[in-house]
Amino acid sequence: MRESLVIFRRELRSYFLSPIAYVFGILLVSVLLWYSTEVTLQNGARASAEAFFGTLPFMLILFVPGLTMRLWAEERKLGTLELLMTFPVTIWQLVLGKFFASVAYLGLVLLLTIGLPLTLGAYGKLDWTPVLGSYLASLLFAGSFIAVGMFWSSLTRDQIVAMLLSLVSLFVLYQLGNPLNIELASDWMPASMVDLVNGISPFKYFVSIARGVLDTRDFVYFACFCGFFLHANTLVLQARRQRG
Amino acid sequence: MIEVERLEKSYGFARALKGISFSVQKGEVIGFLGPNGAGKSTTMKILTGYLLPSGGRASVAGHDVVEKSLAVRRCIGYLPESTPLYGEMRVDEYLQFCADIRGVSSAKQKSAIARAVELCGLQRVTGKNIVELSKGYKQRVGLAQAIVHEPPVLFLDEPTSGLDPNQIVEVRKLIERLGQEHTVVLSTHYLQEVEKSCTRVIIVNQGVIVADGTQQQLVAAQPGGGLRLRVRGPEQNVLAQICELLPKGTPVTIDKRTADAVDYRVDVAAGMAPIDEALARLVVKNGWDLLELQRDRATLEDVFRALTLQVQQEALHA
Repeated sequence: MRESLVIFRRELRSYFLSPIAYVFGILLVSVLLWYSTEVTLQNGARASAEAFFGTLPFMLILFVPGLTMRLWAEERKLGTLELLMTFPVTIWQLVLGKFFASVAYLGLVLLLTIGLPLTLGAYGKLDWTPVLGSYLASLLFAGSFIAVGMFWSSLTRDQIVAMLLSLVSLFVLYQLGNPLNIELASDWMPASMVDLVNGISPFKYFVSIARGVLDTRDFVYFACFCGFFLHANTLVLQARRQRG
Repeated sequence: MIEVERLEKSYGFARALKGISFSVQKGEVIGFLGPNGAGKSTTMKILTGYLLPSGGRASVAGHDVVEKSLAVRRCIGYLPESTPLYGEMRVDEYLQFCADIRGVSSAKQKSAIARAVELCGLQRVTGKNIVELSKGYKQRVGLAQAIVHEPPVLFLDEPTSGLDPNQIVEVRKLIERLGQEHTVVLSTHYLQEVEKSCTRVIIVNQGVIVADGTQQQLVAAQPGGGLRLRVRGPEQNVLAQICELLPKGTPVTIDKRTADAVDYRVDVAAGMAPIDEALARLVVKNGWDLLELQRDRATLEDVFRALTLQVQQEALHA
């Protein structure tokens, strides 16, 4: 636990020591706000942050791979992974420390967008329940994306490769949960298959939590999803010790 | 302190280590020598818990490197070959992180870092970003990182590669100081480094140990060298007399003729009784002038070349 915390602190700090944190944060927030502000304000009397949280998942597909691509690939390229793995820490402690540092960083970036709902709340009657639900859902959703991106990053020392693999897999995951695709698929797929495929996508659970309804099953899903990819991540690192 | 038994490591089909065994006592400074690709780094990576061996056993400070990897990693300091560092961090931050992760209690951290900084001569750069440092300073940060938690065993993989001669001397001095408190295993291509700072030498080549002993032992075991003497006197006569003195079949050659003297070279076979004095007496007795008498001593370099080239050539012929 202590060891994970040390890794967590270093990782989080290193975000802010490099330009990545600032460029990434400012770009993501700007794009999100720019993309959603107009729609949000055109709504007139009805104050809602739906448009904003509607754009968020897609933006995360584009941005999270940029954030996660370096997590292991860079350590491998620099050789710091070798040193890291001769510290008295387990692979799980390393993986968890890194994972939560990225989640925390993304959480901070999301927090920067709080101005939008605050503005809406000041000028209209805003229902805060879905807003808070959406923030929570976004964080969990982003976390699951980070777990996927981090896994890809552990497989290669080339950051671009890690980014492309993450981008494609996140896009596929997102599309699996897209209601439009579900409709199309139900024309030719048996209903049970559609449910199964749809059930894999974090997007489905994002929508559910974002409504402000907190269902344990959704949380269990995110925990399992992240757990699966983080576990895969530890296996890759362990295999590397074996193979050299 | 370190026990290695028939250690093996394969990367795919390539066998990097073919069952090496050695042991290191507390307080020794071991020079781990070998050409590129001999298996030095692989051995270090296994002993530091980074890689898992494919066969054999190894223990460091009484802990098995596979079964008790974490316990091993708690008692070692390691400087990997390329000195990997987090460039974006400041020197003091980085050392703090290393002390922290190595479990140095927060009460002791300050003094531990100060000690490492002092030992490695980093006082002037503690506030700088690592990426801004020169190669020599980076190397010292790498060393500081390895010793900040005062580990009983230190592994240094080519600690002086890529440094300029002044920096090499400094790092070497540092290693000598470290050798007083720690057990050190140090790999290198630079033979002078071993001659200066190591108490024992292990030479590996193509995944096997080809020599293990003190420098004196290794040099003495090397067949050897020759004698060169410069004499002013009648050439044929001198040559005949020298040949008579030596055991039959010892080659004597004329190296060089100068205006008034001749250089003779006597190839001394291994195990031959010393003949320097007898040669000197012979020359003086005959009334010639002995201008120079020099013994070509085998150096560690000769030993290294002989052992590593020999194996390579045998492999070629096989």
